[in-house]
Amino acid sequence: MSDVVLDVHSATKTFGGLKAVNDLSFQIHAGEIVSLIGPNGSGKTTTFNLISGVYEPDSGDVLLRGESIAGLRPDQVYARGISRTFQMLRLFSNMSVMENVLVGMHGRTQANIIDCMFHTPRMRREEEVCVEKARAILAQFPGRFPESRHDQPASSLSYANRRRLEIARALAGEPKLLLLDEPVAGMNPMESMEVMQQIRDLKEAGHTILMIEHDMKVIMGASDRVIAMDHGVKLAEGAPKDVANDPAVVEAYLGRRGADTAS
Amino acid sequence: MAVLDRMNSMFRRAPRWTYIALALAFALIFPVLEQYGVIETLWLRLGTRTLVYVLLAVGLNLVLGETGLLHLGYVAFFAVGAYTTASLSSPRLGYHWNFWVIIALAMLLSMLFGFFIGLPTLRLRGDYLAIVTLAFGEITRITFNNWESVTNGPGGIPGIYAPNLFGWVVDKPGEFFYLLLAAVIVVVWLLNNIKTSRIGRAWNALREDEIASHHSGVRPLQAKLLAVVLSSGVAGLAGAIFAYYQQFINPTYFLFMQSTIVVCMVVLGGMGSIPGAVIGAVVLDTTPELIRQLFTKWLPDAVGADFLPGVQTALQQDFDRYRMLIFGLAIVLMVIFRPEGLLPNKLWRREVHEDDPRDQANTRQHMFDAEKGAQDLEA
Ligand SMILES: Nc1ncnc2c1ncn2[C@@H]1O[C@H](COP(=O)(O)OP(=O)(O)OP(=O)(O)O)[C@@H](O)[C@H]1O
Ligand SMILES: [Mg+2]
Repeated sequence: MSDVVLDVHSATKTFGGLKAVNDLSFQIHAGEIVSLIGPNGSGKTTTFNLISGVYEPDSGDVLLRGESIAGLRPDQVYARGISRTFQMLRLFSNMSVMENVLVGMHGRTQANIIDCMFHTPRMRREEEVCVEKARAILAQFPGRFPESRHDQPASSLSYANRRRLEIARALAGEPKLLLLDEPVAGMNPMESMEVMQQIRDLKEAGHTILMIEHDMKVIMGASDRVIAMDHGVKLAEGAPKDVANDPAVVEAYLGRRGADTAS
Repeated sequence: MAVLDRMNSMFRRAPRWTYIALALAFALIFPVLEQYGVIETLWLRLGTRTLVYVLLAVGLNLVLGETGLLHLGYVAFFAVGAYTTASLSSPRLGYHWNFWVIIALAMLLSMLFGFFIGLPTLRLRGDYLAIVTLAFGEITRITFNNWESVTNGPGGIPGIYAPNLFGWVVDKPGEFFYLLLAAVIVVVWLLNNIKTSRIGRAWNALREDEIASHHSGVRPLQAKLLAVVLSSGVAGLAGAIFAYYQQFINPTYFLFMQSTIVVCMVVLGGMGSIPGAVIGAVVLDTTPELIRQLFTKWLPDAVGADFLPGVQTALQQDFDRYRMLIFGLAIVLMVIFRPEGLLPNKLWRREVHEDDPRDQANTRQHMFDAEKGAQDLEA
């Protein structure tokens, strides 16, 4: 199909003897929200790391809009149009909210060392544009980042807002594909629902999203499609309801006995 | 509303400019005070040396404070600058090159040196980087110590000619003071510009979280190299002027201790803060001398000649050792009472005050919710 944004093609990644991702294949289409689910240690984050350039697949390929990005460095993958967030929140804590978002644009800006040394008009213009863009991105989280907070350190934000800021930073890279690693982890149910709504809004705005999630409500409420994996292997793929009721998936989560009682 | 905001920020900004203006005004009249005998030459010499340290501190801040790399061999680049001047403007090798050419060459050589040292070492992190830079610093000094044909080894290079800047022959302490002050102003201006640009932000992001910055398009090795190269250039500049001022250099000016002192200045002033680095250098370089004067002169003069004779003679005879003692004490007090530094970057403070209850609550909440999430999934 022509609207395939991401194509993971029999990707495998081993750590020592452990096949963290094993011959995994899936595709993401433009404008979709796809959830990647699976028990702890099933290889979800490793899959993200393969896509975003942390690891190179031992075999197989990762294609972004038909071009291989396997083996590229994270900054190159970012430049090609994939931004990500992290399972264990990685913000620039001692930088301001605004600066966090501005760093997200680093690879999209051009000012060189001479521009920066002398604050040339070119650099100042670029800076102004970036600040405007950053304001617009922060405004996509209504009420969460009022102007008064823009110059506060990121570390002063509440936990949920820090996770939102991480999403904002990823958006600043103008990604073709957004990877969210457990975006609502650690949030209370109300906050989770709000973030879920925001993820839907992002889809409305035209974003393509692949997210790892554990929260069933969010998975059901936000995703168009779900991919379940265990031990590095894809177990099931399809509509959220179908995957959740897939015997193999239930077994992966609850173990053999659980699957027996469930049936 | 907007007007109020603007007024508010004006008031908050006003003091900062006032401080800078006051500091500059003081620096500008400082040599004049000496000329009219208000202060002794001793103080002017101290002030001149302090300005060299200010240059070094703001330069190192780029690497240590902004980018978060523990660089313990900074003095090596200072040495490269100093030996450039000494070799090309003294009877030793018979050269008498132009001041500007030497300054440019000193900066270029130290930057090149920084590049080649940075390239292999910047892949290392934390402790390893510290150890390797320390070793490089020492190797550099030992090289200068043994490269007799050029550096005259431990004997050093005497008789460095006074610089000539378009006809202005700089040979009095007051003149060097102004020359260094000009260098400080230019360097601080340029570095502050970079700090408030995408490059400065990239450095800070690297310091805060290298992985996240890499995923935001920052190239860690490249950005770190840039920081190291630029800061090496500043050290080279400081070294070049220092050699002119000192008229004589030998390897003992470039001991590891000097690197440590500059690190202390940056830490004491407040990492990642240019005004902090300046204050750190001024405080650490002048305090020991002030204490010495206090005990050997001002107090005895005020109280009577026999005031604490032991302390007096100790400070007079063995001052260098006590200088280190005072240094150590200042750092210890600092770490206990104001770990963020004297004039910290305004966003930095929380880093060092880890006892923020909200962080802990968040962590607990996170773990609790993660468990709950797993249960929800099973249900
Ligand atoms: N760098 C690494 N070196 C060695 N083993 C690793 C590494 N990264 C991941 N693993 C292992 O690979 C497996 C998959 O890990 P991964 O982090 O991808 O799981 P996950 O699905 O994201 O789990 P969770 O839900 O806990 O986040 C685990 O067994 C993990 O211990
Ligand atoms: Mg994970």
